[in-house]
Amino acid sequence: MREKIIGIDLGTTNSCVAVLEGGAPEVITNTEGERTTPSVIAFTDSNERLVGRLAKRQAITNPKRTIASIKRQMGTDHSVKIERDGKVEQYTPEQLSAMILQKLKKDAENHLGGKIKKAVITVPAYFNDSQRQATKDAGKIAGLEVMRIINEPTAASLAYGLDKSKEQTILVYDLGGGTFDVSILEIGDGVFEVIATDGDTHLGGDDFDQRIIDWLVDEFRKDSGIDLRKDASAMQRLKDAAEAAKMELSSRKETTIHLPYITADASGPKHLEKKLTRARFEHMIDDMLQRTSSTVEATMREAKKSAKDIDQVVLVGGSTRIPKVQEMIASHIPGKINQEINPDEVVAQGAAIQGGVLAGEVDEIVLLDVTPLTLSIETLGGVVTPLIERNTTIPTEKSKTFTTAGDNQSSVEIHVLQGERKMAADNKSLGKFQLVGLPPAPRGIPQIDVTFNIDTDGILHVTAKDKATGKSSSITIKESSHLDESEIEAMRREAETHAEEDSKKAKDVEARNQADQLVYSVEKSLSELGEKVSQEERGKIEDQLRSVKDKLSQDASADELRQAMEELSKHAQRLAEQAYKQTATEGSETSSDQEQKTDKEENDGDYVDAEYEEDN
Amino acid sequence: MTNRKKQPEGVDKKGKANSSEKTETSTPQEQLLANKDEEILSYIERLKRLQAEFENYKKRIQRDITTISEQVSDQLIADFLPLFDNLRRAFDSLDENNATQSFIDGIRGIFSQFDQLLKQKGVAPIMAVGKAFDPVRHEALLSTESKEEKNTIIEEFERGYFRSDRVLRPSKVKVSKGMIPPEEEKP
Repeated sequence: MREKIIGIDLGTTNSCVAVLEGGAPEVITNTEGERTTPSVIAFTDSNERLVGRLAKRQAITNPKRTIASIKRQMGTDHSVKIERDGKVEQYTPEQLSAMILQKLKKDAENHLGGKIKKAVITVPAYFNDSQRQATKDAGKIAGLEVMRIINEPTAASLAYGLDKSKEQTILVYDLGGGTFDVSILEIGDGVFEVIATDGDTHLGGDDFDQRIIDWLVDEFRKDSGIDLRKDASAMQRLKDAAEAAKMELSSRKETTIHLPYITADASGPKHLEKKLTRARFEHMIDDMLQRTSSTVEATMREAKKSAKDIDQVVLVGGSTRIPKVQEMIASHIPGKINQEINPDEVVAQGAAIQGGVLAGEVDEIVLLDVTPLTLSIETLGGVVTPLIERNTTIPTEKSKTFTTAGDNQSSVEIHVLQGERKMAADNKSLGKFQLVGLPPAPRGIPQIDVTFNIDTDGILHVTAKDKATGKSSSITIKESSHLDESEIEAMRREAETHAEEDSKKAKDVEARNQADQLVYSVEKSLSELGEKVSQEERGKIEDQLRSVKDKLSQDASADELRQAMEELSKHAQRLAEQAYKQTATEGSETSSDQEQKTDKEENDGDYVDAEYEEDN
Repeated sequence: MTNRKKQPEGVDKKGKANSSEKTETSTPQEQLLANKDEEILSYIERLKRLQAEFENYKKRIQRDITTISEQVSDQLIADFLPLFDNLRRAFDSLDENNATQSFIDGIRGIFSQFDQLLKQKGVAPIMAVGKAFDPVRHEALLSTESKEEKNTIIEEFERGYFRSDRVLRPSKVKVSKGMIPPEEEKP
C-alpha cells in the first residue's frame, strides 16, 4: 500500500483532518467522536497536555495555561509563557500549533491503523511567507513532513473538482466561527492563482450567537426584571440554546427557545420561552452580513472582476449554512454557488485530495466515470424498472430476471431507457430489441435474464437471455453518454418536479397490474376447481371479477381498484381454502400444486411483468 | 483517457495481423509482446472493474448507513413516545378536573418511567459535586475561591451522563480555586 498523505485544515477555532480513501476524501473522526477538533491547547496542574474538546472544557478553571486561537499569532515572535511548578516555560506559536497537529496526526493514525508521516496543511490566502514557514515548521515539530502548504480557498475549490474544468474564476466565501475571508482565484491548467483576498479576522458565527444571547437577555429582563448576565449557569444554557436556535433557523422559518427554570427570584422559579423567527434573526445580524457583503464587493473591485466574470462560488465555514448568507451572495453573483460539500469539512477534504495527488494515488486509473442518469427497461404498463441507478461508477454490470405478461407469449421486447422519470414515455429511449422463440408457457413462468453492461468507454451492452432455452439477443448502445451536462441537468430537474405525479402514475399502473394479475389467477383457479366450487360461491366471485374488470376498463383510480381487488381477494382466498380442504383429502399432488399457486400470487403481486430476483 | 482508448485498438490490429496470413513473419518475441499486451489490457480492465465495484460498494454502504441510522433513530424515538403520551394524558386530565395533587403524582410517575427507560438504555449520571474536576467528564462554567480543595467541584449546574463508558454529555460545573492568599497568587 502507498504511504498516505493526510490533509489538515488548521483553523483558528476548529481544525479538521481528512484522507483520500479509494479515490474520495474521508474526514477522520477524532477520539472524542467529532469530525472537527477545537484548536485549543491546555497544560494542566498534573503536567498533562490537553488538546481539543477537553482543553476547551477546562479553560475556565485554568485560563492562564489554556491557549486558543494561536493561529492569529503564527509568524510573529509572540511567545506564550506557561507557569508550571514555579518555572516559566515559553512556547512559540509553532510549538503550540504543533500540539494541535500532533493530535490530528494521532487521530488519523488510529483511524488508518499505521504511522502517518506526511501531510498537506492549509493556510489562509493572506498568510505571508513567514506565516507559511511557521506553519511548515509546526508540522515538522509535530513529526510531519509538510509536503505542501496550500491556500484554504484553493483547497475548497479542489474539493469541488474545479481544477478539472477549463480556465475559470472562482470566488470563495469563507465565514467560520470567528473569522471571515473572501478570495478570488483564477485557475488554468490545474494551477490556482489568488488574485485578490480580503476579510475580517474577528467576525463569524460566534458573533451571531452573541446577538441571540443579547436579545434573549434583554427580553428576559423586560419580562421579569432579572439580569441573567450575572448567572453563569443561565448564561451557559443561553449560549447553547442560542447556537441551537441559529442552526434550527437554517432549515426552519421559526423556532422556540425553551429554557424552563432558567433562574429564580423571591416569587419562585422563572422560565424563559421565546419565539425567534428567521426574519428577526436575519435582522439581528444584518449589519454583520452587510459588512461581509461590502468586503465581497471590495475584493471583486480589487480583482477587477464583475459578477459575470465569476464562474463559480464556493462556500466554506459553518455560517454559510445561514440562508440569508447564501441569498446575499446570490444577489451579487446569481446561480453559481457550490454548497454540496459540508462547509466545515470542505477545506480538509481539498487538502486530502492534494495529498492524494502528491502520493500518486490519484492517477488515471482511479478517475472513473459515473453514469449520469438511470438506465432502465420498460415493463408492463409503461413503467420503468431500473437496472443501473444514476451515479453508479462504471465499468459495471447489473442483471435482473423478468418474465412474460401473457400466456404463451413467444417473444419479449426489451426497451432500453435513460432517465429518472417513472413512466417509460417520459424518459429517453436508447433502443429496442426483441427476444424471440420463447417456448409456449403460462405467463409468469419463463425466466428472462436481462443484463446491462457498461464498459470503460461508457458503451452500454444489453443482453436478454431465456433461461430455459438459452436463447439470447442483444444490443449495443454507444450514445448513452452523449448527453451534455446541461441536458443531464435538465432531465434531472424535470424528474424532480414531476416526482409526485410520476409516482402517482406509477402507482396507478402498479394497481392495474395487480388487478390484472388477480383477475387472471382467480379465473384460472375457478376453471381448475370446476365443480368443486359451489354455484353460490362461483356467482359471487364472478360478480366481483366483473366489477374489477369494469374498473380496469374504465381506467379507475388506484384507490378504487384496490377496493374492488380487496373484495375479490377476500372471496378468492376462501376459494383457495375451500379447494385446499377438499384436495387435502384427495392427495398431496394437487395440494402442493395449489399451494404453489397462492405463493406465486403473492410474489407477483407488485408487477405482472415481474422481477423474480436480483442476481446482482 | 484518450491514450488508453487508443491502446486497445492498436493491439487489436496487431492481434488480427497475427491471426491472419502474416503469422509466419512475427517472431516469437513479437508474439510474446502481443500476448503480454493483451494480458496487461485484461488486467487493466479487471482493475477498473474492481475499482468501479468498490466505488459502487462504498455508495451502497453509505446508503445503508443512512438507512440504518434512520432506523435506529426511529426505534429510539418510538421507545420515548409512551412518555410523551403519558405527559399528554397528565395535562388532559389536569385540564378536565384540575386535580393538582393527582397531576403531581402523575408527573412523578412519568418521571420515574423516564428514569427507568434511561437506565434500560444504559444511561447513568456522572458524579460531580465533591469530585475532582476532570475535563473528560466535566465542563467548567465557573471557577471561584472556596474552602474546598483546589480543583474540586463545588456546584453542578447541569448534570452530565454516561452511556456505557462514553460521555453522552459532560456535567456543567463550578470548580473551586481553593483559598488564594491575599498578596500572592501562588507560593
